Amino acid sequence: MAFLTLTDISKYFGGVAAVERFNLDVEKGEFVSFLGPSGCGKTTTLRMIAGFELPSSGTILLDSEDVTYKAPNQRNVGMVFQSYALFPNLTVGQNIGFGLQVRKENEAVIKARVDEMLGLIHLEQHQNKYPYQLSGGQQQRVALARALAIQPRVLLLDEPLSALDAKIRVELRLEIRRIQQALGITTVYVTHDQEEALSLSDRVVVMSQGRMEQVGTPFEIYNYPRTQFVAQFVGQLNLLPITGLDLAAETCLLAGQTVQFEHHQSRQLSEAPRLAIRPEEFRLGALEGCNVLSGRVETVMFLGAVVRLRVEVGGLLFSADLFNERNITPPRVGEQIEISFPVHACWLT
Amino acid sequence: MSSKQNFAVNEKRDAPQARPAPLPWRHWLGVGPFFLFAFLFIFLPSLSLFIGAFQDASGAFTLKNFADLSRPEIVDAYWVTIRISLVTAVGGGLLGFAMAYGVTLGGLPAWVRTALSTFSGVASNFAGVPLAFAFIATLGRTGMVTLILKLVFGLNLYDKGFSLYSFWGLSLTYLYFQFPLMVLIITPALDGLRREWREAAENLGATSWTYWRRVALPILTPSILGAMILLFGNAFGAYATALSLTGGFINLVTIVIGSQIKGDILHNVGLGYAMAFGMVIIMATMMTLYYLLRRRSERWLRP
Repeated sequence: MAFLTLTDISKYFGGVAAVERFNLDVEKGEFVSFLGPSGCGKTTTLRMIAGFELPSSGTILLDSEDVTYKAPNQRNVGMVFQSYALFPNLTVGQNIGFGLQVRKENEAVIKARVDEMLGLIHLEQHQNKYPYQLSGGQQQRVALARALAIQPRVLLLDEPLSALDAKIRVELRLEIRRIQQALGITTVYVTHDQEEALSLSDRVVVMSQGRMEQVGTPFEIYNYPRTQFVAQFVGQLNLLPITGLDLAAETCLLAGQTVQFEHHQSRQLSEAPRLAIRPEEFRLGALEGCNVLSGRVETVMFLGAVVRLRVEVGGLLFSADLFNERNITPPRVGEQIEISFPVHACWLT
Repeated sequence: MSSKQNFAVNEKRDAPQARPAPLPWRHWLGVGPFFLFAFLFIFLPSLSLFIGAFQDASGAFTLKNFADLSRPEIVDAYWVTIRISLVTAVGGGLLGFAMAYGVTLGGLPAWVRTALSTFSGVASNFAGVPLAFAFIATLGRTGMVTLILKLVFGLNLYDKGFSLYSFWGLSLTYLYFQFPLMVLIITPALDGLRREWREAAENLGATSWTYWRRVALPILTPSILGAMILLFGNAFGAYATALSLTGGFINLVTIVIGSQIKGDILHNVGLGYAMAFGMVIIMATMMTLYYLLRRRSERWLRP
């Protein structure tokens, strides 16, 4: 049986649905991320697990216990907030030990646990500092240690890295995953950053407008998106209008050039079907066994690991990402090129 | 490189910035009137007070004015003033805090907050003769409220020992401008209590009481104390309200100073200056305490 179960959870604010019929099973020790744009209901769902919001309907089971209407201070759930929420009047050590003091643990236990947590987050030498004396990354690690110190049944993280700069974000991301795996703690992570969700999670829940769009491993979410929203929200996606669709032959015309696709990968087709291709599926040149398009390079953007081309084919513009290699020269703006993509890499939507 | 080393390298606090170049003189023009007023109406009068406190009637140097501060009626004036200032600072502080809490964290409708802050803005500056008259008209011997209580409810306040012209009557009158001042000062501090602190505390198992005891009140304490110190100073320096209401019946420092400086019988300008100098010392002490407390809370709440 799942460790955390959300069944038909809905939440309405003044008649407006923030979350609708949300169902999820999280296994013990699993790391699950809620991914979606602002206002999609991911934080509201997390807050319902924490007990800060009560569901309008549905149930939440935690370790087989119904906690749907339990007060936050009776759930033993740890939460890390986007804004750290460290108590400014307490030192790092006092912040970490706060939950244990509330539980009236004896001083020796508190001290040992605080020391252990400080070791876990590598901030042993900062125990007596106040939050304002720490950097953002350090504060967030203290917040993580504070949440973990009480040995919660579930760890909830609400966009914990959003307020940090890019480099610290990547480092702390690795730290969070390391600590989560070391402790084997069941974790629910809210983010709008797809890279975070994909790199950290065992499973990702993609949400939109209060509804769950898809649940799956990062690999499944990225490579086999079930809805157009998921395909467009997770990663980059070219959606190109087509003509001359022949479903039996699995071919269509893209700006007058024939393209072959695998129909079994296609989603429910709209009235004006479009061909979906991820930018990284393209390769320069005419490769055997692939669809080949001839087009003109409109822009070239060097992004470090990737060179992003904007290519115009018969009036259609699409993005193509080429891996950067030092021994190749990227095409120039205005150059006519041939560009290929595998048959299995595109689908109709 | 270990992750620990990574953090050590990448999470250094920002290096101190280079000392900024001195501002051109014209940038000070905007605050020029403030400095001019401060010089003319704070510094010069204080200097005059200071000098006058060490002079006798003929202008010769003397310490007698300070020695006279220990006279029983002068000590009594300070003591009454300190008591009334304490009572109205604590009373007004608690009342104002409760009201500010109600409109910020108490979940009251937004219009109540608007109404209270508008009232507080006006009432905190409503003092002197108009305030005294307002209270005489309502709670004086023949005041409206006094008569209503007497005629409708059969409660004669003055038979029960209440008098508007007593220590407690004056304290009640002072409260009219003290608690609104507290509302104005403490509301931003209450607004500064972040929802996440409460949620984090609850999430860690704390009850509402534990949150207030361990987190919210310690964070607010410097602001509350600081605000009460301001209220103390506000009451300590009040003159016109007390004089209008009691006609000098209550022996406040400000009233005694007035009598010493312009009175016919008690005329002793040097003693008045010495008493005013004593007031300046008390007020300066209060302001220093306020500054220290405010600095402490601002340091905690630095973003």
